Amino acid sequence: MRRAYLTREKEAHGRTVMAVLPIAYPKEILTAMNILAVEVWGPPGLPASEEASRIQAYVCPVVRNAMAFLAPGVPGIDGVLFPHTCDSIQGLATVLPDLAGFPLPVANFVHPKGERRKSNETYLKQEFADLAAQLARITGKPLDPEALKGAIALHREIDRLRTSLMARRAFSPLPDREFWGVLRLGEYLWPEDYLGKLKELESGLASQAVQTGVPVMVTGIVPEPMGIYEAINAAGAFVAACDYAAIGRRVADPSAGTAPDPFDALVSRYFALPPCPTRTSLMGPRMDYLERLYAANRCRGLIVHTVKFCEPELFDLPHIRQRFARINAPVLTMEGELEPVLSGQATTRIEAFVEMTTSKRSNP
Amino acid sequence: MITRRVQFEVMGRLVGPALMELDAYKTQRKRRKRTPKPGPFGPGLKSVDELKKIMTMIYLQGRYADGAVPVAWVTSGFPSEFLRMLGYYIIYPENHAALCGARHMTPKISEAAENQGYSMDLCSYARTDIGNVLKNNTPVGRLPKPDLIACCTNICQTVLYWYRALAAHLEVPLVLVDTPFMFGDNKEHHVQYVAEQLEECIATAEKVAGRKMDKSRMGHMMEMALQGSDLWGQCLEIARAKPSPWTGFDTFFHIAPIVSIRGTETCNRYYRGLKAELEQRVAQGVGGIKDERHRLLWDNLPIWFDIRNLATMFAERGFNFVCATYSNAWAEAGRLISPEDPILSAAKAYIYVYLNRDLNNRLRTMKELAGDYGVDGAVLHSDRSCKPYSVGQIDVKRRFAEDLGLKALVLEADHNDQRLYAREQAETRLHAFMESFGE
Repeated sequence: MRRAYLTREKEAHGRTVMAVLPIAYPKEILTAMNILAVEVWGPPGLPASEEASRIQAYVCPVVRNAMAFLAPGVPGIDGVLFPHTCDSIQGLATVLPDLAGFPLPVANFVHPKGERRKSNETYLKQEFADLAAQLARITGKPLDPEALKGAIALHREIDRLRTSLMARRAFSPLPDREFWGVLRLGEYLWPEDYLGKLKELESGLASQAVQTGVPVMVTGIVPEPMGIYEAINAAGAFVAACDYAAIGRRVADPSAGTAPDPFDALVSRYFALPPCPTRTSLMGPRMDYLERLYAANRCRGLIVHTVKFCEPELFDLPHIRQRFARINAPVLTMEGELEPVLSGQATTRIEAFVEMTTSKRSNP
Repeated sequence: MITRRVQFEVMGRLVGPALMELDAYKTQRKRRKRTPKPGPFGPGLKSVDELKKIMTMIYLQGRYADGAVPVAWVTSGFPSEFLRMLGYYIIYPENHAALCGARHMTPKISEAAENQGYSMDLCSYARTDIGNVLKNNTPVGRLPKPDLIACCTNICQTVLYWYRALAAHLEVPLVLVDTPFMFGDNKEHHVQYVAEQLEECIATAEKVAGRKMDKSRMGHMMEMALQGSDLWGQCLEIARAKPSPWTGFDTFFHIAPIVSIRGTETCNRYYRGLKAELEQRVAQGVGGIKDERHRLLWDNLPIWFDIRNLATMFAERGFNFVCATYSNAWAEAGRLISPEDPILSAAKAYIYVYLNRDLNNRLRTMKELAGDYGVDGAVLHSDRSCKPYSVGQIDVKRRFAEDLGLKALVLEADHNDQRLYAREQAETRLHAFMESFGE
């Protein structure tokens, strides 16, 4: 279905299709340049080819699976964009084109790290322009500043809607897999199509909260396997707040990005993203943010769902546990390897966790 | 503050040096009494005694540094020359962690971090360091509490995740020099970004230290750093001689001054002495190992806890690691430093480091080293704790072996944590590798 969509987009709209590695990249620039971004979060499941063995087994499965998926060549893909998310993706960004004989063009987006400072604002603006130049070499067409302004407006509208939908999660009667699944459609849909899906989701919201389960918050990289949502719902809970890097952490504050210069607007939008260790915001502000998100959605438990070997996430884990212990919030830590289905053991742990949160409520 | 300063100065100027002399005297006496054991190595380097003094003094005086002078904990790739100019006492957690690793203390120390939830999949340097912060468990007595934490991402991103955690535990400011990864050549805006961050870091460091930097001295400091880097490079190049007067495993220890006290006269004096000793050994035909029949290249960090065993195993069969990408990295980029333009040239030098560059450059460097040092093969340490050094090694090894017609082996281990190392399995692989040379 996804491949048919890509083919249609290419044929009907003359779009360039680029595979994009996680997590942060200026999608607005791609939209303005008629490039359809297809995000590669692994893909989940077993590695698609033996090429995974080019990367050591102790490296995160997102990167190993991406190597297995991309190295043999993917029909319909015109190039690959590597954001500088972590050491492992950085490694993949050089192994694949430099030593693995990958035939397609690649682009790199080396986003800055750390808190917002004058130096990284200036740098980021130049890096956006540099990325646009790299992409222009691939598409053969330069970036049109007016098109970029339009794309920024479109993505701000998407973020406005995503923010509103996430804040009203309990108003949707849909199970988590469907609700959050719609939020994830932006990983490959053209932004206008994605906006349409978000509007459909919004039109299905009730006038008041209809979810009756225990509200929980999740944080991690990516909700794979998606069966985690089914297990949460089956246990009597629902995901009321999301801090997955693939979903919640990529929704910028929609009020940011109004500067007349489109690159200035992009800089504001980048720094208006929620804290994420892959952009290495300081520990304190991230913990404050998580606590606020948890409280705002009246959550009664936190599930930390990490990907094995993911250093940025794993370094924060003790701090998350410490902070949530301080507010007496139960925390469940789960580690996955993008396995095709959720294990029975993981399901049992979720059941026990939800049970614990309800007993905590009845016995304060 | 005054008492602390007096203690610090007395330890640095009087007590410390006296203790060092006493220790050196005892060591000499022990050596005179001991009959040298027969072994595969050449005579030990005399410079080791001086190295030991320098490193011991750093940690000894460091015990009295907090409260006396501003203290900074910095990553090995951080441009510490600027902090030194502001009077900071500098501690390198990586260097300290390596020391713990070499003394087989990592599992015990990092347990404190693991008990708090730091995964064993995280870098073992980081776990060792955080474990020490949580439980003050260190072979050096104590590390001074920092006033500032300074991180440069030119060696990996991990250091930033690690230093964020440290800053949170220790509740001190973190300054960052973020060095964009270089795919191909550096880009002007990348260098400019690093230069601007250096200025920002200096401003924060000045505030914390409560003093202004005398920028007129910057050129001199950078000149000293440049000299140090050059001298270290010259020491390494002496290993091109056959037999090499020292081993790659030796270089892993003698690298300490260029990492820890770069930009100081002590550092440069040390390398001048080491260079003279190495040259003398070459003139006398003295090798790092007694019978050098094969010359190898080592890629990635050392396996600190098993270094002696590995060195012996190779030396017994006539193999000498005459060069290492890790040791070489500290000689490469420093050469870009220009005293005329300290900030901008430092930006270039610090962005240009080996691990901050793509695999084409890595492969090219390895091939150049192989040619320059006349190696017959390579061992690539696939280091569980160091993703940036290790990702890509499988392809690098294949290309290195194919392009040069040399033998190469990828050896899986960890630089600091012996729990992540299958020694028997590793030795079996290494024996098979050495047998392929006819040994």
